[in-house]
Amino acid sequence: MPVWLREYSWRQTGSAVYLSLPLPGVRVTPANIFCTDQYLKVSIHPFLFEAILYAPIDETNSTAKIGNGIIFFTLYKKEEAMWDSLTIENDSKEKLQYLRENAVLKAHEKAKEETEAKKVTKQEHKKYALEATMELEEAGRKRIEDMKEKERQKVTKELELWKKQQEDAEKQKRVQKGRKLHKEIEQLKERKNGRMDKTGILNKGTSETRLKPTKDHGSYSMFSENLKEEQLPAPRSAATIKINFTSRVFPTALRESRVAEEEEWLRKQAEARRTISADLSELEDLKEEEKNPDWLKDKGNKMFATGNYFGAVNAYNLALRLNNKLPLLYLNRAACHLKLRNLHKAIEDSSKALELLTPPVPDNENARVKAYVRRGTAFCELELYTEGESLKEASTKSLQDYEAALKIDPKNRTIEKDAEKIRHLIQGKTQDS
Amino acid sequence: MSSGPERPQVVAHVQEPLPCTLFDCKWVPRSARLLCLGSAARGTGLIRLYELRGARVELLREIEKAKPIKCGTFGATSLQQRYLATGDFGGNLNIWNLEAPEIPVYSVKGHKEIINSIDGVGGLGIGEGAPEIVTGSRDGTVKVWDPRQKDTPVANMEPVQGESKRDCWTVAFGNAYNQEERVVCAGYDNGDIKLFDLKTMSLRWETNIKNGVCSLEFDRKDVNMNKLVATSLEGKFHVFDMRTQHPTKGFASVSEKVQKSTIWQVRHLPQNRDIFMTSGGAGSLHLWKYEYPAQRSKKDSEGAEMGVAGSVSLLQNVTLSTQPISSLDWSPDKKGLCVCGAFDQTLRVLIVTKLNKV
Repeated sequence: MPVWLREYSWRQTGSAVYLSLPLPGVRVTPANIFCTDQYLKVSIHPFLFEAILYAPIDETNSTAKIGNGIIFFTLYKKEEAMWDSLTIENDSKEKLQYLRENAVLKAHEKAKEETEAKKVTKQEHKKYALEATMELEEAGRKRIEDMKEKERQKVTKELELWKKQQEDAEKQKRVQKGRKLHKEIEQLKERKNGRMDKTGILNKGTSETRLKPTKDHGSYSMFSENLKEEQLPAPRSAATIKINFTSRVFPTALRESRVAEEEEWLRKQAEARRTISADLSELEDLKEEEKNPDWLKDKGNKMFATGNYFGAVNAYNLALRLNNKLPLLYLNRAACHLKLRNLHKAIEDSSKALELLTPPVPDNENARVKAYVRRGTAFCELELYTEGESLKEASTKSLQDYEAALKIDPKNRTIEKDAEKIRHLIQGKTQDS
Repeated sequence: MSSGPERPQVVAHVQEPLPCTLFDCKWVPRSARLLCLGSAARGTGLIRLYELRGARVELLREIEKAKPIKCGTFGATSLQQRYLATGDFGGNLNIWNLEAPEIPVYSVKGHKEIINSIDGVGGLGIGEGAPEIVTGSRDGTVKVWDPRQKDTPVANMEPVQGESKRDCWTVAFGNAYNQEERVVCAGYDNGDIKLFDLKTMSLRWETNIKNGVCSLEFDRKDVNMNKLVATSLEGKFHVFDMRTQHPTKGFASVSEKVQKSTIWQVRHLPQNRDIFMTSGGAGSLHLWKYEYPAQRSKKDSEGAEMGVAGSVSLLQNVTLSTQPISSLDWSPDKKGLCVCGAFDQTLRVLIVTKLNKV
């Protein structure tokens, strides 16, 4: 139970009330004082002082001075009037309670309003600060822009000046040219005059003297021009330099970032060419390289070059067992068969090669030409050993092949010559039979 | 690269949209006129002559030709004549008198495919020796022409029989310091750079820079070869010091990577051979300065002379367009004035300031 403080003294003027409240032995802080416009409370454990004021006061301006063991209130009245007493004598407890609650609510509201007001001012301050910084930045940017503009204008002016100089120079040139022409016309006129006056001696004398200096000038200028032309050396004697390029498989330009991808792709292509159709059981005892059709093809080529046609055929056979989709293998084997005089086999292989070399694109032009030529040769050789109908067949087929080869590569002289020879042969044979 | 007060600034003076695709732009020497070479929408070639007037360029003439024109040069004509040599999409080399452009002064079907690049030397009062034009084409050959000799080139650099060809993307003349000496440098799409000596008609040096070579230029055509800049795909360029050739290692070089995009062109400032500008595939321009090393050559372990490359520093960069800037030309008459053309069909005249203080 709090101890009610009843000892207090007060006095008043028309506008203010002065209340002094002794609080023995306790320290007072502003938090202990609660005041609304008609209710005043001081609660410090264990003391409690409460007063319901006679008339409303202006609590914002009223003050409380905390001294040694005493609080001195200065309460400014809302209305100028003399109070009969400090507090309203109140009888009912409920009224008291109601008044107290009211007071608390009022205080609450006031506090809220104060915080709101504070917030608003804070916002405004922030806004102001932001605007100030923006202005500063704008000023900075503008400064830079202005500098740039100034530069631009300065430079434009200089450019105009330079242009004017150029134009003046051109005009000067033109004027000089005009003068030169004028001079030349004068010279021509004088020369003409000189010739006409050859009869009159006196005149001749004067015109000659006049001619001489101008003539000298003329010859001088002619000379200088000749010299200039002679100063230029003759055109270079034509020559060709042959060059090699760093090899590149792809037709696109070389980019460093793509090199890794390209290597991957090439590796995968090489692997794919290795074993397409493989009978693994037979080939187990072969060495690693011997399973690679490319390696076998190279081996075959080498043997062909040294004249070992049988060996070459064997190599190509093995390669074909591993991968029967490589047209070059058939092509090269056809060449071997030609050399071995296995003409039918040669024809077969060249045909197979041509089949595999579809679609006809510029890339496999060379291969196709070779295939046609080999097949044509085979047919040609065949006809030397056949007679009758099959002879005609062979020769026409041969001619067809040579013509096809010629179509692909029209500039090849040997093919042309051979085609001519076959045509003659056919004509000769048909005449005979 | 903020605008520090002492750095050169690139000021965009004029921007002119064009109704055609622009492949090359060139200043007409001794004047404030410039040329645009390109192709109209209907697949014909266009030469447009502009004059710089105040803050604009004004179109003076438009000349239409049969095939789109890829490149042009004034390098091989005299200052009085100022004939333009062009290479077009059909492989034709033509020399035009711009006052009477109906019939070319010289014409030859030089290549089987598009002429990618052209360069001229011996004209404009620069250097000595015969005026010559070199063209590089997609058919893999590089040919040198003399306008006084019809139909056949005076030098032909072609692949060996049976060799598959690579596109030649760029050519440049250099080392033309007297009447006999001359070299041609060619860059190809597989990264090869080949240096041909025209006096001995031989291959003097070759190297591979691992990326297709987009543009080559010697810092000066008419002096003993000093520096060569080669730009390539993937945002790299190399500066070779050409004064000292080592028997096996060739020329020393320094390289820089700019951005991920292709560097389309490099052009040296005519008034200062250590400053050059590169134009990039992201529509940006970079201005560089080369600094020489303390000693330009040193001896290697076997006592052979070896070059030492210097260093390159970036002076300024600016992004002007969203499309690649494919052509660039400095004015030989006014320091800092340059024109560039981009694939957004815009011609830009730029002024680079403070080059005196660099």
